[in-house]
Amino acid sequence: MRMSLKVNGAAVETEVSPISRLSGFLRDVLGLTGVKEGCCEGECGACTVLLDDEPVNSCLMLAFQVAGCEIVTIEGLCRNGISDLQQAFLEMGAVQCGYCTPGMVLAAEGLLRANPNPGEAEIRHALAGNICRCTGFETIVRAVAAEAAARQRAGR
Amino acid sequence: MTALAVVAPVDIAALRATLAAEAGPVRFIAGGTDMLIAGRPLAGTGLLVDLARVAGMAFISTDDADVRIGGATTVAALAADCGLRARIPALCEAAGQCGSVQIRNRATIGGNIANAAPAADLMPVLAAAGTRLALLKNDGTQYEAALCEYLPDSGHLIMEVILPGNALLPCSAFVKLGPRRDLTISRLNLAMLAEFQNSHFGTVRIAAGALGPVPLRMHLADAALGGRKLEPATLREFLSALATEVDAAIPGRNSQIYKRRAVAGLGLDLIAQAVGLSPRDRLFEEAVE
Repeated sequence: MRMSLKVNGAAVETEVSPISRLSGFLRDVLGLTGVKEGCCEGECGACTVLLDDEPVNSCLMLAFQVAGCEIVTIEGLCRNGISDLQQAFLEMGAVQCGYCTPGMVLAAEGLLRANPNPGEAEIRHALAGNICRCTGFETIVRAVAAEAAARQRAGR
Repeated sequence: MTALAVVAPVDIAALRATLAAEAGPVRFIAGGTDMLIAGRPLAGTGLLVDLARVAGMAFISTDDADVRIGGATTVAALAADCGLRARIPALCEAAGQCGSVQIRNRATIGGNIANAAPAADLMPVLAAAGTRLALLKNDGTQYEAALCEYLPDSGHLIMEVILPGNALLPCSAFVKLGPRRDLTISRLNLAMLAEFQNSHFGTVRIAAGALGPVPLRMHLADAALGGRKLEPATLREFLSALATEVDAAIPGRNSQIYKRRAVAGLGLDLIAQAVGLSPRDRLFEEAVE
């Protein structure tokens, strides 16, 4: 079937199989391989993208369900160079193997868009759907808190 | 055999027209958070109807006597709705503990019911609240049925979830126990609706999940609290009733010994949340001494 949507700010019109998962569509059709497929069960969060500003598991959606919507993947956060949130991850040492990082960053970005001033418990709750195998959670939480504080200071 | 066709109706009229025109098998998808889990095959034929953006199927109405919730309302919307929290906080509590942010943003109340998972977190609250469902058949007939009469395999679409106003009680609570704090499937969950005034319970209704294929109404536990003063002796009878209910629900199951002990702690947390006490209140310590 044919559908149109917006991906990382750009209009896309494409053919999509009725049974394609959104994660597969983004990776295999659009080449956005920053979207990772980990468990395909909604447990690991590696496939997280923003759907109309809200974090969702792209492995648990069919691609045709996003017709007319706006999707942001990790590639969309760094169209003009690395984003401040990604920079905070780097500075806090919140990236180890990196496999979980795109989903983790997008879950954090979704949190900060909905709640610009989250407490530590709120950050942990918002990231509970993202699993880091390298056990870097402490630094990840610190990176999100640092970016929240930076956005507050800058009035962003 | 024809390939799977998909359609995303824009409103309820279009949805009804789609169903009326389809002679073959029809399946529904909304959030997809249970349906699309790896290893669960998607049907390769028939019609798949996307409910996620049907106008008029996602709403929460709390201004009238009955609380009415559209079948495609997301769990995130339930968790965040102030009007709903004022009428039945347990449902917001259960919604907030369901899955992860990503899952709550997509999962729907209709899907939580239709998926019929024994550990579904919304179900004990809905069971304790005497919930009714407005269901739509493919031929366009709409009818109401009690939640406990709903058959997931019927294929009838959950249009609305109705919490009758005369069954809602002033206090409510939901607690769950799982292997981790967040994004965890309940090993056991409990919901309670109650009247509570001047340290005395009035009517009490309790339901448990993950003790059988459908939520279990715990009538012995209701009776142990109903009309009684909140004091250690009452709580001891309540804990005894909970253990008896667990023994009756899962006799001989490997989890029976674990769950009959776990239900005690969970039961005290349930009461603490319902009446606004700390779970560490001396009252609860005395109940288990």
